[in-house]
Amino acid sequence: MELKDFIEKFAEQFDDTDASEIKGDTVFKELDEWSSLIALSVIAMVDEEYDITIKGDDIRNSTTVEDLFNAVKAKA
Amino acid sequence: MAFLKINNIAIQGVAACVPPKVEENKDLPFYAPGEAEQVIEATGIERRHVATEEITASDLCYRAAEELLSQLGWERDSIDLLAFVTQCPDYINLPNSFVVHEKLGLREDTMCVDYYHGCPGWVVGLSSVTSMVSSGVSIKRALLLDGDTCSKMQYANDREEKPLFGDAGTATAIEFVEGSSPLYFNIGTKSEDARALTKKVGGFRNPYTVASLKHELDMRSGLNSDFASTGKMDGMDVFSFAITKVPKSMKKLCSEFDVNIEEVDNLILHQANKLIIESIAKRMKVSLDHVPSSLKDYGNTTSVSVPLTMVVDRKNQLENAKQKNLACAFGTGLAWGAVYFETNRIVVPEVIIY
Repeated sequence: MELKDFIEKFAEQFDDTDASEIKGDTVFKELDEWSSLIALSVIAMVDEEYDITIKGDDIRNSTTVEDLFNAVKAKA
Repeated sequence: MAFLKINNIAIQGVAACVPPKVEENKDLPFYAPGEAEQVIEATGIERRHVATEEITASDLCYRAAEELLSQLGWERDSIDLLAFVTQCPDYINLPNSFVVHEKLGLREDTMCVDYYHGCPGWVVGLSSVTSMVSSGVSIKRALLLDGDTCSKMQYANDREEKPLFGDAGTATAIEFVEGSSPLYFNIGTKSEDARALTKKVGGFRNPYTVASLKHELDMRSGLNSDFASTGKMDGMDVFSFAITKVPKSMKKLCSEFDVNIEEVDNLILHQANKLIIESIAKRMKVSLDHVPSSLKDYGNTTSVSVPLTMVVDRKNQLENAKQKNLACAFGTGLAWGAVYFETNRIVVPEVIIY
């Protein structure tokens, strides 16, 4: 599992946010477009792409995209 | 592993009744301009029928049962078992099946039973009722009533739950018919995540105090919006549960009983919201043409949503053709129930407005 690949897939969940704005150290909950709906599509993406089930706490306890990547990786 | 195979059962009809009052999601007071449209797009829910104070789940189910019995031409005296699935009973200490037993004027030796269950309730109730009927010894006909009025316990300013829940009541007619194609069930529970959908105050563990009751009533009316002591649905946990456990349960059922998913006419999913339903359908590789919906005009009607969806979106097919149905309901528990059942030209009255 690669961080770069995860960031790309994470960025695909946004419609109006340019992918170049999203990096490993991006505090994703501060993005204008971040919403509970995007959180759900991130959960769905992780299930689909990595066959890993993350829960609400994994998102709540992550600050940056890399934090979330590490949470997903820990469950692999 | 809770798999069941139940023989000699025919589902003969399904009826549904909803309260007349309609709440439009676009008119909910707490949205910023444009926000309601986004929520409607993601949930698929435009409006919901909600019960006013004087209408209960037992009223809605009673009306559905009357219509169903009349269209089936079933004599009241032929009903041997009356079951009621609800989490919104009329009374604290009288199960709803007794309330409806009296209203319908059923026999004294008709068995009454209630199931206290959330969203998977119809499937769980069906597994239990059909198990009792399948022996054919003396229970030949059963009515499975399933109704909820969860909108009554919603909080006026709960932005997450308020646009979701609607009220409805249904009746399902079940009969012992030797040689019917079997029903298959898979039922499961993930209680470690129960917290995601638990209402903690007001039962016997945390009975209402004067202060907590006032808080509860103020939350419902919108005078107070402090969720700290009441708890909230954990939408993310429910979503992650639904899109992972539900497809797995249906796939396990299909492989255990050799059901070919490609031959299923109707994949009837609990109407949680559009995002969940589409995610599950995608994981099941089933096209949305085979996935009926009642979301748009009725919302998430908790345990009632599977039978209500049959009436709202599959009336013609169920009445006029043999149908292969795979249903899965999921939620409170967190729990799920999947069932495969075939129907052969059953009675489905139009949705009744109470």
